[in-house]
Amino acid sequence: MQTTRWRWLTVLALMVGVLAAAGCGDDEEDTGAAETTATTPTRTFPAGTTMARLQQAGTITIGVKFDVPPFGFKNPRSDELEGFDVDLGRRIAADLGVRPRFIEAVSDNRIPFLKDGTADLILSTMTITAERDEEIDFSEPYFIARGRVLVKDDSDITGVDDLAGKKVCTALGSTYEETLKREAPRADLRLVDSYSECLELIQNGAVEAVSTDDVILTGMIIQDDSLKLVGEPLTTEPYGAGIKEGDDAFRRFVSDVVQAWKRDGGWAEAYQKWVGQYTDEQQDPPTMTLAEALKLN
Amino acid sequence: MGALFEVLTENFDQLARGFWVTLRLVGASFAIALVVGTVVAALRIAPSAWLRRLGGVYVETFRNIPLLVLLFISFAGLRRAGVPISNWTAGIGSLGLYTAAYVAEVLRSGVFAVSKGQVEAALSLGFSHNETLRRIVLPQAFRTVIAPLGSITIAMIKNSAIVGVSLLALPDLLKEARIVQSRTFETDETFFWAAVGYLLITAAATIAFRALERRFAIRR
Repeated sequence: MQTTRWRWLTVLALMVGVLAAAGCGDDEEDTGAAETTATTPTRTFPAGTTMARLQQAGTITIGVKFDVPPFGFKNPRSDELEGFDVDLGRRIAADLGVRPRFIEAVSDNRIPFLKDGTADLILSTMTITAERDEEIDFSEPYFIARGRVLVKDDSDITGVDDLAGKKVCTALGSTYEETLKREAPRADLRLVDSYSECLELIQNGAVEAVSTDDVILTGMIIQDDSLKLVGEPLTTEPYGAGIKEGDDAFRRFVSDVVQAWKRDGGWAEAYQKWVGQYTDEQQDPPTMTLAEALKLN
Repeated sequence: MGALFEVLTENFDQLARGFWVTLRLVGASFAIALVVGTVVAALRIAPSAWLRRLGGVYVETFRNIPLLVLLFISFAGLRRAGVPISNWTAGIGSLGLYTAAYVAEVLRSGVFAVSKGQVEAALSLGFSHNETLRRIVLPQAFRTVIAPLGSITIAMIKNSAIVGVSLLALPDLLKEARIVQSRTFETDETFFWAAVGYLLITAAATIAFRALERRFAIRR
């Protein structure tokens, strides 16, 4: 009797162990040994700062989108995370001399992630707004997107004015919820968790339009060329890196890296790689300041 | 504490709209679950082996597919196959048919809980198969299944939240709460009220099933 009980306990302990291991394994969105090249700390920071803490830990946890080409997405062939936001994340990690650990941050959970410390930094196509600035802090703008409307090739929608009575998809927690309520008050909004769901909905005909940043919509056209952009830009959306509210030293550090990245050609290279080659458009690094961005939205 | 009530009063209309959507979703799904569940249970105890097997296939299919997958198949899958199903139909259909599998199993076990001796006694007294079922087995079976049906109903009410977070984008209570949360950033406060909303529905279901139990209880 005694031995049977012990056997069951062993089995139980093993199961718990396996489950725990599986759980941890899943969480660790490791980007592999390829990134350990930059682990020699280039600068030292005063003790007590976030930078010093991250260097101590050797990793920085960065929340990015996993399903928004070309900013943050998993390349289906290599299973690697790629994109404009991911490149900037790697640059910030390299300048700190730590390894980046990328976790998925969707529009709805990225601000809670910063508040509860799940992520040290958010780079997930996040528009700088005064409202969000009350909850978190932003770096200087690192990209300027424009709000557009995406429809199927054969659609008769030509712009935001045609959206009345139409089903329109955007992400819950994005700035477009407000924008669409203002610009197209009679549109039937479908709010989902991620833009890949919007893509599915417009492909299967459950919605007639998707509205969000042009670069995200361009990513959808890359995946499905029976879609097109229509109408004039609705909004200007300056993207900023999200940092925990009140961490001024870390915010300045991230802003410095962003500005250096713009100056030294890193930005232009990432732009060409992720946006320019698909849109055939040229763009200079944004000169808009954080203060200007905050007045905008 | 101030923020807690502020979140409710300032977003009451939106949360109430979501509550109403959840209520309708739950009500319609419950009706489908009861009707389909009863039919499937009847199949499961039918004299014909083929009908029993048919009922078994239904139960195993709907009980073994995760609700979220079922929602995806019934909406995105059917639409891609050319069936213009709406998000409401897909939501109510999936939740109703999914719950029906559990209802069918509970009803079947209720029938089997009536002892064989009673059936034999009824048959030997000259009751027909149908009469035995109607006058002897079902009244007793009904009494046994009230409590487990209550549990299933409560589970279904909570499962309805999955419909809102799925691709269907139905503006149910949880969805509206999340929209409020994304605007106000008052996470704890908003979800507290969402929980209260679900509790109101589950508490009503609990009270209703308790009353049924008392009404049909054997006086001991």
